[in-house]
Amino acid sequence: MVVMKAMGIESDQEVVQMVGRDPRYGFMLLPSIQECANDDIFNQKQALEFLDKKLKPSLYSSNEGKAFGVLRDFFLANVPVRELNFRPKAIYAAVMMRRMMDAMLNKDAIDDKDYVGNKRLELSGQLISLLFEDLFKTMNEEVKKRIDLGLRKSAGRSLPIENFITGDSITQGLERAISTGNWDLRRFKMHKKGMTQVLARLSFIAAVGQMTRVKPQFEKSRKVSGPRALQPSQWGMLCPCDTPEGEACGLVKNLALMTHVTTDQEEGLSPLISLCHSLGVESLELLSAEEIHTSNSFLVIFNGIILGKHRQPQRFATSMRKLRRAGKIGEFVSVYVNEKQRCVYIASDGGRVCRPLVIADKGVSRVKEHHMQELRDGVRTFRDFVRDGLIEYLDVNEQNNTLIALYEGEPKEEITHIEIEPLTILGVCAGLIPYPHHNQSPRNTYQCAMGKQAMGNIAYNQLSRMDSLLYLLVYPQRPLLTTKTIELVGYDKLGAGQNATVAVMSYSGYDIEDAIVMNKSSLDRGFGRCIVLKKGVSTLQRYANNTQDRICKPLKKGETDRKGDIEKMRILDEDGIASPGETIRPFDMYVNKEVPVNTKDPVDLQNVGFKSAFQTYKGAKGETAVIDRVALSSDVNNNLCIKFQFRETRRPELGDKFSSRHGQKGVCGTIVQQEDFPFSERGICPDLIMNPHGFPSRMTIGKMIELLGGKAGVSCGRFHYGSAFGEPSGQADTVEAISKTLVDKGFSYNGKDFLYSGITGSPLQAYIFMGPIYYQKLKHMVLDKMHARGRGPRVMLTRQPTEGRSRDGGLRLGEMERDCLIAYGASMLMYERLMLSSDPFEIQVCRTCGLLGYYNHKLKITVCSSCKNSENVSKIKLPYACKLLFQELQSMNIVPRLKLTEAS
Amino acid sequence: MDAQPEPVSYICGDCGMENTLKPGDVIQCRECGYRILYKKRTRRIVQYEAR
Repeated sequence: MVVMKAMGIESDQEVVQMVGRDPRYGFMLLPSIQECANDDIFNQKQALEFLDKKLKPSLYSSNEGKAFGVLRDFFLANVPVRELNFRPKAIYAAVMMRRMMDAMLNKDAIDDKDYVGNKRLELSGQLISLLFEDLFKTMNEEVKKRIDLGLRKSAGRSLPIENFITGDSITQGLERAISTGNWDLRRFKMHKKGMTQVLARLSFIAAVGQMTRVKPQFEKSRKVSGPRALQPSQWGMLCPCDTPEGEACGLVKNLALMTHVTTDQEEGLSPLISLCHSLGVESLELLSAEEIHTSNSFLVIFNGIILGKHRQPQRFATSMRKLRRAGKIGEFVSVYVNEKQRCVYIASDGGRVCRPLVIADKGVSRVKEHHMQELRDGVRTFRDFVRDGLIEYLDVNEQNNTLIALYEGEPKEEITHIEIEPLTILGVCAGLIPYPHHNQSPRNTYQCAMGKQAMGNIAYNQLSRMDSLLYLLVYPQRPLLTTKTIELVGYDKLGAGQNATVAVMSYSGYDIEDAIVMNKSSLDRGFGRCIVLKKGVSTLQRYANNTQDRICKPLKKGETDRKGDIEKMRILDEDGIASPGETIRPFDMYVNKEVPVNTKDPVDLQNVGFKSAFQTYKGAKGETAVIDRVALSSDVNNNLCIKFQFRETRRPELGDKFSSRHGQKGVCGTIVQQEDFPFSERGICPDLIMNPHGFPSRMTIGKMIELLGGKAGVSCGRFHYGSAFGEPSGQADTVEAISKTLVDKGFSYNGKDFLYSGITGSPLQAYIFMGPIYYQKLKHMVLDKMHARGRGPRVMLTRQPTEGRSRDGGLRLGEMERDCLIAYGASMLMYERLMLSSDPFEIQVCRTCGLLGYYNHKLKITVCSSCKNSENVSKIKLPYACKLLFQELQSMNIVPRLKLTEAS
Repeated sequence: MDAQPEPVSYICGDCGMENTLKPGDVIQCRECGYRILYKKRTRRIVQYEAR
């Protein structure tokens, strides 16, 4: 009430009128009114003085009144104050109070903060413009400072402004922000990290999928389920399946297939505002407080600012929508009538998610057959549909005013829109799954994560690119069971997998826990064979003293060879660079570079000392690669830069990871000769055998239908479809239809085949469910992970074995394993693991003082350095890390003393 | 073996011209000025394992 008075609404009656005349509101306002009366606040001046006292004195120094400035500039900053007219702001505050009291009186009126309609997505343009604004203003300040300095120095002379705008602070600022991804804008109080990401090019789907990602602003650590839960309002806007597992689960989302994120309107807002007024919106300035909440009128709110009220909200909304469909106002302007709040919301701001829908009149679609024919003939495009008012974009809020039919032909009068296609509620990654609506939901989520790891094609230019790491499939195939999404995103042209004939049966016991039995002949034919391309770069640097790296000719046979380098130089060419086509083994040299010994002080350029700095190929032992390409170019600093591409071809081996498109990953358990594989009467032999135990708990019915559909597709020569929710609209083949084709082609309707055992030649007891399933090879391969060590390098400081495969590290016996050994009482094993095999060390301990002594090699005696004698010194063994701890403690003035119970 | 080995030539990434380079040369095609050169395939006999 004080704030309202400070804004110039001095009459209590008017405030109550602004909030609404319901006595309950007045009752809730009463304490505040009372307080005003008690504190003798009756007019604006008194209210402002009262508020001034509440402010920190240092906040505002000007004399006009601190609270006044705060109210004008900070309080509800989105409502503009023109010529010190606080009335719009006061009304806005009153409407806010009304909503608040509504929520207190009636819990249903509380807004859902996870509701997608209340959210805005920030796009790159907005972020860059914010960054630019910050940098530009910083530059302006700097220029002003410099000009002031210049004026002080040279009063009167002309100072061309160009001379003061120097440096490239904007360029540098932009580059720094984009390369690091850290948006540090003090002016806007924005400190965000990871705003830019390097596009993952490991697979086509990973790249496309990354571009649809939506990341929330707040930190992930909060353990609340609200924002993570699936929101009903994200239907059609955000993919319900595609979200990462674990920490960011449900927070990181992906856009659905047809989602459009609006951008700010270019022409500005005034045409829309004046349009609203000419359509009968009564301006706020002309309304008295009493008139704001009359029972027959709705408030009109435009981008969060109250414009005024309208007496016929439905008519107003309809005419706005008609104008939008006619293309008179932007196609992404949303008009939303909220009956509960008695408001009409018009939004044209950027960052709203919206999606296209077919407009229907009384349940009859506006898109007719002749339109579709025109589309097929290529006369009509999607834009024309929008332009002609057949399809329109709706945002989440406006969808609340519609009745959207899933399919055409539902006989309901009230239907206003028809979905274009139900499969578009899924995103790009989930769209690859055939029959996802038959799978258990988490399986689809798993597949969304795994589809990004599948090897296959990256792009059409994949072989001209020089990626630092690239996984390709030698014979990628197009999935036999496709979906509409696959065709739309082009996965059928840049596939990442192969159609494998799968027999669902138990075989050999090497298929437990999702392992796969593979057919050796299939591998010979190229199933799952992949190419790994790695990059090696060598730059010839130029140094401060004008010396430069150089490349040397390889040593020839017979020349003096100090360290056995000739063997390493096997594949080098005359120019000291390996040439394409050569096979390269690990530790082979691919560029014979030499670096000057002295790179700092000025030296005689004619005779500079060089030391060898050759680069060798680092790959798995025993495997060879081929040099694919060698490119010479100049880098940014004009240094010679040589790039090498190494190619490795790998065939699947034991432990390589494979997955179908239903979140069913598994490793290769064993590779069996085709002779031992089961076969059918037609001579069909599976490429891989999958254990049937993978089905009951996972409930991936979609995979079974994929097998059926694939089998029918192979036998009738037609690609079958399995789009999401596609059966009613004909985008997916039904099981009945598939079974019919199978029967027509001489198979059993249920997809089971009569198989013979490859080992005994006798028929198998059961019919086997067999058919093609699209299998992906995932990028996790044994060759890159395999690691074992007996002896090896140690860390200098602790003398314990190193950590990690890349350093040839040891395998750690961790704390929990240690607990097991303690519990079991295997003390000698512990002793062996934790000391003998790790960092044993012998030290001399003084029995009198308990401190460490040393062994004097000259006198061959042991001495305690603190007791200064050699009596009572014993030799004990302990881990080096323990000795290190003692010494570090001593350095911190803590004395650890060893007390020996049994010593000699 | 004793004969002066012929200089290594590089293929332009744009026009396909063969260029010879000396140490210290700018990496640029003499014909079209393209700045990426590729090394020619080895002339040695190589044998690959097909498995």
